[in-house]
Order: sequence, then C-alpha cells, then structure tokens
Amino acid sequence: MENITLFINGKGVSCPTGSSLLEAAELNGIKIPRLCYHPELKPLGGCRLCLVEDEKTGKILASCVMPASPNMSILTDTPRINRHRRNIVRLMMAEHPESCIVCNKGNRCQLRQIAAQLGLGQTGLYHMPNYKPIEQANPFIIRDLTKCVLCGKCIRADHELVQTGAIDYNFRGFKSRPLTLHDLPLEQSNCTFCGTCVSICPTGALAPKNLTHAGTPERESDSVCGFCGVGCSLTLGVIGKQIVETNPSHLPETLNGATLCVRGHFAHDFLNAEQRLTQPLMRAEDKLAPVSWNEAVNHVASRLLEIKKTFGPQSIGFLGSSKCTNEENYLFQKIARTVLETNNVDNGGYLSGRSCLDLIDSRTGGGWRVSPLSNLEKAESIVVIGADPGNSAPVVGYYIRRTAKKGIPMIVVDPRRTDLVPFSTVWLRILPERDLQLINCLAALLWKRFGHDTGFIDRFTENFTKYSEGLSSFNHQRLCVEAGVDMISLERVVELLKGKKIAFVIGHGILQQRNAARAADAILNLMLMTGSLGTDTGGLYLLARENNQAGALDMGSAPDLLPGRENLGDSRQRQRFERAWEVRLSPDQGLNAIRMITEAEKGTLKALYIMGENPLRSLPQPERVLKALQNLEFLVVQDILKTETSTVAHVVLPGASFSEKAGSYTNMEGRIQCVEPVVSPPLEARPDWMILDMVSEKMGRFTRYDSLEKIRAEIVRHIPEYQGLSNGKKTFWINNTSKKGLFQPDGQGEPISFFPVAFAEDRPHDDNYPFTAILGSTRFHLGSGTRTSHSKRIGNFGKNGHVEISPSDGLELNLVNGDRIRIQSRHGSIERELILEKGLAQGLVLAPIGFEENDAMKLLPLTPFEDRTSRGLKTCQVRIDKIQ
Amino acid sequence: MTPKDIDSERLSAIIDKHKAERWSLIPLLQEIQEAFGYIPPESIETIAYALNIFPVEIQGVITFYAGFSLLPKGKYVLKVCRGTACHVKGGRSILRLIKSELGLEEGETGEDYQFTLETTACLGACALAPTMMINRSYFGKLSPPKVTAILAHHSKEKE
Repeated sequence: MENITLFINGKGVSCPTGSSLLEAAELNGIKIPRLCYHPELKPLGGCRLCLVEDEKTGKILASCVMPASPNMSILTDTPRINRHRRNIVRLMMAEHPESCIVCNKGNRCQLRQIAAQLGLGQTGLYHMPNYKPIEQANPFIIRDLTKCVLCGKCIRADHELVQTGAIDYNFRGFKSRPLTLHDLPLEQSNCTFCGTCVSICPTGALAPKNLTHAGTPERESDSVCGFCGVGCSLTLGVIGKQIVETNPSHLPETLNGATLCVRGHFAHDFLNAEQRLTQPLMRAEDKLAPVSWNEAVNHVASRLLEIKKTFGPQSIGFLGSSKCTNEENYLFQKIARTVLETNNVDNGGYLSGRSCLDLIDSRTGGGWRVSPLSNLEKAESIVVIGADPGNSAPVVGYYIRRTAKKGIPMIVVDPRRTDLVPFSTVWLRILPERDLQLINCLAALLWKRFGHDTGFIDRFTENFTKYSEGLSSFNHQRLCVEAGVDMISLERVVELLKGKKIAFVIGHGILQQRNAARAADAILNLMLMTGSLGTDTGGLYLLARENNQAGALDMGSAPDLLPGRENLGDSRQRQRFERAWEVRLSPDQGLNAIRMITEAEKGTLKALYIMGENPLRSLPQPERVLKALQNLEFLVVQDILKTETSTVAHVVLPGASFSEKAGSYTNMEGRIQCVEPVVSPPLEARPDWMILDMVSEKMGRFTRYDSLEKIRAEIVRHIPEYQGLSNGKKTFWINNTSKKGLFQPDGQGEPISFFPVAFAEDRPHDDNYPFTAILGSTRFHLGSGTRTSHSKRIGNFGKNGHVEISPSDGLELNLVNGDRIRIQSRHGSIERELILEKGLAQGLVLAPIGFEENDAMKLLPLTPFEDRTSRGLKTCQVRIDKIQ
Repeated sequence: MTPKDIDSERLSAIIDKHKAERWSLIPLLQEIQEAFGYIPPESIETIAYALNIFPVEIQGVITFYAGFSLLPKGKYVLKVCRGTACHVKGGRSILRLIKSELGLEEGETGEDYQFTLETTACLGACALAPTMMINRSYFGKLSPPKVTAILAHHSKEKE
C-alpha cells in the first residue's frame, strides 16, 4: 500500500493511504486522547475528545474519522483544542456519579485518566448525575449505567465483533442508553455473557462481578486460556496469590482480539476453588491422608515397578490429558514407553474424534494442520457441519458470523437450530448422523453441475476418475430423502457453492459420530474436488474441545502413535525412537482410553496412572467405570481438583493449572503458544512436568530433566513440526512436513488421492427407544464440566441443564415446558427438566452435557470407537417418560 | 383502537412489501404504526428476521423517534400544544382541564383505549392559540367550554 506524508505538530510523518489522522498520529508515536475509539471497531466520532486542528484552515476535526490526506498540516495539542477537550470532559464529569472511591475500575478508568491528563479536578459545573438502577442479578456482569459515557464501544463490540445483537442504543438525548431487547435483564436477553463489553468499557459502567475480591488487580500477566481448543490470549489480573480477573490480552495479532467467551472470561474463578488439591494424598485404611512428596513419589514408583514385575508391562496404563502442556505430554508418554515399556498410553482427546483426525492426517500428510482462523474471514463460502461453535468454541462462532454478515454464503448443516442459523444463507436441517449421505449428494450434484476445479484436481490429486464414477452412480433423490433434506434447498446450496472455495468448519457432530471416518473421507473428497483444501479462501477447521488436544497427539500421547504423530507400526520410526531413548519399543499398539477401563473391568489391567483426566465423569456408563477403577490394584491420579476419580485413587498428586506453570499448548489452528506461570501453584502443588520428572527419577530409568528447556530440546530434536520451540518465541506455527504437493510452496510433491465414495450403514430402528438424543455442549461448561462446575459464577447460573424436544412431540406425549422427564436409553437413564423448542425436528431430544456430574454420559455405552458395535458419542436411542 | 391480537397476516404483508427495499426499516415501521396504531413489541423479531438485522437495532430506531410507539394508543390521540404562544393564551389551564376531564396524565392512555393524552412543544399554529390536535385535526382558540364539547363529541357514548 502506498504511503502518504503529512505534518503533525510541525513534524513530517508518513502513514498508509486510508489511515485516519488518529491512526497516523498513533503510528508516529503521537498520543491523542479518545474514549470511543478502539482499533478493532469502526470509528464512530462520538466522544469528540480526539479533536485536532487543521493548521491551514483552522478547522477542528475529529481525528478518528478524518482520513489523512497528503500535505495536511495537523496540530494535536493547541490551547484551543484543549479548551474544547476540557469542556467535553467537564460535562461528562458533571453527569458522572461521585463513586470513584468504590469503583472497581479504579485507575484503569479512561475518563479518570483523560481528566488527569487534561489537568481537571473540579468541573465548576452543577453536578447532575443521571441515576439509573444498578443491574447485578446475573453472576457475571454488573451494569451501572449511571457511569455510562455513551461511547458505544459495548454496542459496537457486540454488533461488530461478537455479532450477538444483545444491546443497542435506545431513546435519545439525556435518556439515551444501551438496552437489551424489551429492556430485559441481561440473563433473560440473548446476551451470551462473553464479557467483551466488560473488557472494552472505558469506565466502570460495566464490571465483572467478583465474588471474593473488590478493587483493581495488583498486577496483570499474559497467558493463554486453558479451556477449549481455540486457545485465546488472556491477561490475568492477580491480587496476592489469586487470579481475580480475566480480560482479553492487549498483545497484537492474537486470534481473539478484544473478544472472549463466557468460560474464558468468567469461569477461571475455578482456579481458586476450595476443591483444589494442595498436597499429596495417600490412601491409608480407606481414607486419603496427606503425605510428603517424597513418600508419595516413592510409593508410586515402587508400586508401578512392582506391578510391572509381577504382571508385565501390559498390566499398566497411562491416561494423560489433552489439557496438559506439550512438554508434560511428551514426558508422560516417554515414561510409559521407556520406563514401564508399555504402549498403553492415551489422553482424553481420544473421545473427540481420533478416527477422523487419523484419516485426515494420513491422507494429507498432516499438511492441513496450519489453518489460521483469520483465514475464515477471507473465505469465499463456509459450510458449518455438525458444529455448534456458539456453544463449543464461541470465538470460532464470532469469526463465522462476521464473515456471514459480510454476505459470504454460509451453509449450516445441523439437525438443531444453532445460533449460527439466523446468520446462515441456507440451513440444511438434516437428520442426525446423515452427514455422509448429504455430503455425497452435494458432491454428486456439484460434479453434475460442473462445480469441480479441474486445474486443482489435475495438479494436486489422483484417482479422481474412480471417485467421479462413484458420484455419477448416486441417486440424488434417494440420498436427499435419507438425509432428510429437501432437494430445492440442496440445489440452492449447490448454486451458492459452485465455483467457490469452501471453508469447512467441522465439529463434534461429525467427530464423535458413528460414521465419523467415512464422513470425514467424503468431506475431504469434496474439498479436493472443489479445490478448497490448502487455500486461504477455503480450508478445513476442526473444532478441538480441549486446549491441547492437538499437542497431546503430536507428543505421542496415544496408544498407536509415537511423538510427531508417527505411526507405531512404522519400523523405521520405531527404530529412530529406540535409538534415541535406548529402549525396545513394542510394535503392538496399546490400549486406548476406553479399553483401559474395560480391561481394568476384566482385571487384566492392574495399575492406572491418570494425569489431568476425570474418566468417572467424562466416559460413558460411569458406574461401570467406577467398578473398573475399584478393580485396579493401584490407581494414581494427578490432577488440580478433587474429582470423582481422585476420590477413589490410591495416591493423589496435586498438579498445577495452566496459569501456574510454564509450557506450550497447540491449538486447533496449529498455533503453538508458550505460557509462563502467572502465580505459583497453591501450597504444595507442583507443575505436572516436575511431578512426572520426580516419579521417573525414582523409577531410575533416565536422569532428571530438571528444566523445561531440556524437555523442549528433546522435543525439537525428535519432532520436526515443533522446530519453533527452540527459538524462544512466544507464539509460532507448527512446521509443515507433509510431502504432498498441495502443501509445498512450489506445488511439487506427492498427489493426494481421492478415496472411492463410501456409503452409510444404517442402524436398525428400535421401537422401544423411538427418540434420538443428541448430546450437545453448552457455552457455560467445557466438555464434561469438571473445571467449569467448580466456577462459582457458572455454578450459580447454568444449573438447569434443560433438555429440549419439539413442540409437536410435546403435544403427542402430553408434555409442557418445565415438566420433569426421565430419558432412558438401553444403558441408563437421566432425569431433567423439559423445554419445548421450536427449532428442533420431531423425534429428537437435545440433552446438554456438563451438567449434574455430566450424567448424560449414562445414556451411552462404554464401547471403543473402533469397535464395530460403536455408536459414537454424539447420539443414542432413547425413550421419554414423564415423572409424576 | 383497542389492542387486539395482532393480525399476523397483515403484519407479514407489510413486511413483505418492504423487505426487498434498501433503507426500508423506517417506512416499514411507519406503515405498521399506521396499521396497528403502534408497533407491537412482539413484531420486532419478525421484522428483524426479514430485514436481517438485530432485533435490538430495530428497538433502538423505534425508541429514538418520538413518532413511533411501542405501547398501544387510544382511538383519539390528543396532542396539546405547550408552545410559548399557547402558554401565554392559557394553554396550561387547557391542559389541566383535559387532564381532569379524561383522568389521564401526559403520555397516558385510558383503559378503554379511547384517548391518549400527549403534549407537544409547538404545533406551529400560534395564531390559533391555545391549540391542540386530535389525530390529524386541529382545534384552535380553545376555551374550557369548547374543550368540554370537543371531548364529549369524541367520547365513546357519542359514537
């Protein structure tokens, strides 16, 4: 972009064409006071504090909305301007209440800062505060609109960044203020409590509700959110040793910018929960009693070695965590593989679509993995399939809504009316788990209508002919009926997508379903056919439930993968690690997360080391899991909270949360982010990598690392994707190691093969269980909700966990809103309150997970995915009865 | 006009007429106000969906303009002039009289939805002071007996 030159305060400066005067000044280190300007929002020109003077004409201009033009001569700090600024601030102060002493915003209040800069103390005006009621019924946000200066930042952030539309200016003049629809309290409006408005508010009009602390944090440090796989940048506010406030970080080029979601913003109070584990515990006479670290670690080491000696390495399992750092996951699997010589190592991410990931990784050589969310805003079209990012990964939802609002075609494929539906161009309301049929039909129609990208297919792929023959053989009408979609809508989608690159956003509706791998295959085929893979204007976005799901797999925390996601069955790779670790590695893959439990149930698995995972809550059929865990000779649980699982352990080791330790996390985009500790772990708790280091030293296989840098050096040595870890950068992307031509800068390399079309197997219908329950997440809880349920704020709010059915089903079963019902599957039952939801199709039940000890898991069978009888984790057949 | 169940067909006909137009929101709201006497709050979301904007933005527009109302109004909307000329000519007593005759305060609507009482800064008919409007008709040179007669003429019993 061309630069233009102009004069600010007599000094020649330059800025890119199209900059405003304020941006031009900012770029050259000249600070202009302002209240309503925010770099991520469209300028408003409302507060008039950014006034500058045009030296040539003497005109006074609002610099945030005035474009810079060549040879302008601007003065930013003249007596005339300052007189205007002072008058504006005096008027604001005259309307502002005198509650500064008790205001949580304290010295961060921008009105106060500007008044101080302008040297204003007394206004000299009649004080006329515009009192309005304080709203603080909800557990997240306190709204005191008396302090509102009408800068409109909250409204603009709501409309432009998060696209929720919860508030807007209402009335005018003295009565003007931001209101919700029908002036309802926030908790009854469509507000999602993302808190973006709270962080962006320049005064104390919007403040986070703090239950334990009042006042301004003593210090602030940057970190990365520990909840979902998006990995937003945070700034954590600390008082004493406790984290009391969370805001989006002010770092440049973060993926979330000024936004966050309700979990990221308000649920981190779980870090101060009473249920935090603070010292090592050991079971003595049926009770867990505190012991010293030395005793606990000695016991763990000797018992594990003993069991290995007596029952063999296959009798021990290591269940790790997709919430722990890369370094910890690396160490964890290394201990399992080298010290205890078992491949029985897995992490909780197993539940979130391993089969899909494996398939996509192997077909693309992993080249798809760097997929920056910022590219979503460049997409030519978006297809959201089986994903409800508004609940599961809200920040991804903001990206999609922003793009859709610009008029880019956005197709939602979902049986539920998700919060993306109002933004969508077309909503294909398919039947649950019929995504494969729909994708097949879509591909066949696009092929028929010449919607394929011949250039791309010729250059980067192979075996297209066979695939296209398969497509030609489809009966569109039949597939359409099977998917439950009408042909007219589908034809419209084809018209919208034809000739465009498609960005696919895939969620747990695909990842956890029975046909997951086949659906992923079909999506990949469709992406290759339309030339959408590996481009900025298309691309593949897989939602990750937990913050380090991708990293845990990269580190080899899986029964069939070595670090770098290398296949354990590949003898060349195995030998590489055998040499490096000086150990013999078994080529047989170990037990996955679910099979560890079923083997413990049978009694073949004798010991289990669980790090940062709560299988009693996250796995199906909790009563079976409990029996299996009780069946173990030895159970070690390393966690940060007292969980259902830790209470049945033999030894409990207190670990540290993301804010209390250093390490790196890999998010769903393929971005690796390093964090430093913000506070120290509570009492005797220690960073998890240190605990693992102590345990492995006691078992005497390899020497202690003692520092994170040494672990990192080893990761860099063995995993080419993680080269960036050595250069001390805070944020970097995984290296591309795919050999596929599509992902090479020069386009030279192996072609990606089309797979022949796959068909869905239908499951037999069971008349005893006529409904299909969909297990969906809500934005207030993450996954099984172990951590979020310990957040006091969330606990106060999201207790209901209502299930939803369609009004017509309600009529048939004689059920009304608020009825208590029992939902029963072949495997268990839960009781919930009911809501009739218009957006839901007949025959469906939507049951939220994360609530009431995540009891929704009772409905599912404990079956590993690869098992032929597996039904996936997303849906199950149920019956509904009213509880009298 | 007594508020009754909103004629949803009429509402969607008005929305359909305007939704393809650019800048259609204000004409659309005016037409709804014309048809129903007010803008039913429950219609906001339907309008928002048709125009693809946030419902709360529509509420913002409605509350910004004094001409739009979210509350149902009476069959006769009285706008009593509170301008300077009318004030000098006794507009205050006229207003006081109307208030007591109707039993309404400014901005209120009677339970039978016959009358809504409003005041306005100036009707621009100062030569006729003191003045008021009922719906779209002017009434000038008001005196207490004239007011009583006018109100009686518009009352329910007279119809």
